[in-house]
Amino acid sequence: MSSVSVPYAEQPQWADVVPLPQYEGVEPLAPIFYTNEYKDATDYLRGIVKTGEKSQRVLDLTKHIIQLNPAHYTAWQYRYETLLAIKSPLDVELELMDEIAIKHMKTYQVWHHRRLLMTHLLRNTDEASTSSSSRSPSQLASTELTFIARTLAEDAKNYHTWSYRQWLLAFFNDDSLWDRELDFVDSMLNHDIRNNSAWHHRFFVVFQSGVREGEKDRDRILRREFTYVKQNISLAPNNASSWNYLRGILDYNKIPYSRLTSFVQPYTVPHADVPSDLVDLEDPPPSRGAQLPSPGAIEFLADVYEEEGGNSILKATELWKSLASEHDTIRRRYWNSRMKEGLRAIQVKS
Amino acid sequence: MAKLTPIDSYPTPTSKAQSETEEILLAHLPAPDNELPQLNKNSHLQFVARNLIQGFPARYVSQDASQPWLLFWTLQALSMLQVVLDPNNRQRAIDTLLSFQHPNGGFGGGPGQMPHLLPTYASVCALAIIGKPGEKGGWDGIDRQKMYDFFKSLKQPDGSFTVSRHGEVDVRGIYCLLCVATLLNIITPELVEGTPEFLASCQTYEGGFASASFPYFVPVSSEPSSDPKLLSSPRPPLGEAHGGYTFCAAASWILLKPFIARSSPKPSINARLLTRWLIQMQGVRSELGGFKGRTNKLVDGCYAWWVGGCFALLSELDGDNATNGDEQEELGTETDEKDDDAWTDDEDIELDDIWNPEALQEYILFAGQHPGGGLRDKPPKAADAYHTLYCLAGLSAAQHRMVPDRARRKVLEALWTDNSDQVDGHSHKWWMKEVYTHSMAWGEATRRKRNILGGEGNRVNATHPIFNLTATHTEGVMAHFYQQPAPPKRQ
Repeated sequence: MSSVSVPYAEQPQWADVVPLPQYEGVEPLAPIFYTNEYKDATDYLRGIVKTGEKSQRVLDLTKHIIQLNPAHYTAWQYRYETLLAIKSPLDVELELMDEIAIKHMKTYQVWHHRRLLMTHLLRNTDEASTSSSSRSPSQLASTELTFIARTLAEDAKNYHTWSYRQWLLAFFNDDSLWDRELDFVDSMLNHDIRNNSAWHHRFFVVFQSGVREGEKDRDRILRREFTYVKQNISLAPNNASSWNYLRGILDYNKIPYSRLTSFVQPYTVPHADVPSDLVDLEDPPPSRGAQLPSPGAIEFLADVYEEEGGNSILKATELWKSLASEHDTIRRRYWNSRMKEGLRAIQVKS
Repeated sequence: MAKLTPIDSYPTPTSKAQSETEEILLAHLPAPDNELPQLNKNSHLQFVARNLIQGFPARYVSQDASQPWLLFWTLQALSMLQVVLDPNNRQRAIDTLLSFQHPNGGFGGGPGQMPHLLPTYASVCALAIIGKPGEKGGWDGIDRQKMYDFFKSLKQPDGSFTVSRHGEVDVRGIYCLLCVATLLNIITPELVEGTPEFLASCQTYEGGFASASFPYFVPVSSEPSSDPKLLSSPRPPLGEAHGGYTFCAAASWILLKPFIARSSPKPSINARLLTRWLIQMQGVRSELGGFKGRTNKLVDGCYAWWVGGCFALLSELDGDNATNGDEQEELGTETDEKDDDAWTDDEDIELDDIWNPEALQEYILFAGQHPGGGLRDKPPKAADAYHTLYCLAGLSAAQHRMVPDRARRKVLEALWTDNSDQVDGHSHKWWMKEVYTHSMAWGEATRRKRNILGGEGNRVNATHPIFNLTATHTEGVMAHFYQQPAPPKRQ
């Protein structure tokens, strides 16, 4: 970066641009103390925006500003418009932005810019001007998925990165891209089964993005997902992400919670002395290291009883009471309100 | 000693970060017989005033495109601490804010920056705090017609809005737009058509809301030129349930209620699932009762507001799915009276908290305060302008039980005078009165006040659960733009 910090005023190729100071006639309250380099570059950007110039040097200037402050959305917006105006190859731009994306992963603009570029690259594959190579849309998208995976390896829960990945899959909607997605989720969850972003991604891929070839047998898919989430619960029964995923499957597919009663029960009590040589693949037991009972399991079982209605609500009440007084006391008012609600439902019936 | 979150003998990066954080947080819990926790108002005030008058150091360059936010966070933090700015600095603040307005409408992140929904919210709310009518007062310097045109230019076919030209779509932008359109009286049915459906599509299986949803599937990749189709269902959420987006979506939903009530079929959200998710976001004892923003993430002081602030909104979201609750809002006084009768029976239920506001107050007081002034995410982090406001706003949400006050609403309705307004050429605007009285009726419940942890000295101002402005500032700016008489003082 040191090579760039010659002030624009001293660079002959910028001599024709009139820099615009930020504040004129205003003595700003709560000003920021900019570095000279930043102030200089943004003065020239304001000058450029005023004249509306779109040229190669605008790309240099906006890149400079973005490196100093990746949240400068005006620089991004102006850069994007300039790229289109001068028909700059967008796949080159994409690669140019890789480093900035990894360095500034938490910035919205970094990911949104890529999304704009990808949109153009797909829509205009016939226009040679936007792309310097002849890669097909799905090749482009596939490269991009690899790039995203690389950034997620550094920040496994980055919100923008995950939502960008979901957007990319839905936008290109190509079976060859979808095919590898569950393996990717698996690798992320193997690394950290508590990564809720990865669980959400799994839900997105399996349930919320349409039904693809090879997945038409929904019963088989459901069995696969139940097995997957049960195994994860058995490994770490206090993992809220897997309980939420389980509830998500049931709600989405309108399956009663009672279908899971026999699986959940052992998780609602302290460790029972279950013979360890008995392996039940259908209902895997809690792991030896599990800390039981799990509040997530108790809540789940209470929901089963509440769903049953009638006198079962009294059983639910006992469970809510145990959460309120012992297993999840921070939420005691919520569990108390569930109790009241349940008991009122009984009164109304009788 | 509170026990740590169980890790089931199965450590992962998440559980390691979690345990480390819990150890640090528990070290901030004073011995039980210690004196009461204090909100160090003076040192926070000094932190805020220093930022305002002396300015921000160079590391705040990352906020150069958020200059209106720096002002809003600072000025609203002063409001929370019940401090008023002197006239000279007030005028400087007004002039600074107006310099962010773009000639084509809306406000940018700084002078000469392009207009964007987020800085527009921050600018307008900051002006609500320190501005006034008349020349140089700031309020009449806002170009409402151009603002409306700017908003319309961002509208997408799925009912959402981009945050700026070529910008991203997300529910923060929608929240910012709806707040501004409501405060300035430029909201119209046309502007928000389809927006409730978009918001509903952002609710995830966990119950909270995501940043956005995906509106289209391109039919087949062999025909790249064919038009994408708008999906009615599913429009999958992009990203997982998140505290910030959830607040924005829930608050937006309430601002849209007068419009939702008249739409057919009515879009709906799952309030029960949302409630469960919000409840689950509160950290346990070893997290000092602070809030996290996503499942299996760490607690952070700012979610005291983004998530803790949502509980006040729930009463207005409940009933959207109830079989007979839908019509209540538009039937006027008759229904209201019936409600009032029911009120006494259900008093306990209506006024019982379902979350734990005392525990949240502990988090802010024990962990959220930086010893050198200002508030923060969590120890050992530094304080900053953003966390200072949202920790204080969250503390306020935990101290004050804000409710839609039916009696107040009747007062406002009785005072309503019909002034046909101009911005979009609509002559009869049926929604104006509803939007106005709905938004202005929020107040603190007079019965069963909450306990203020550490005593009265720790009290901060109440704040509007949707706009995050005090009642005085909300009423001032809305009465102005709706051309209504100043409402009577509350008791």
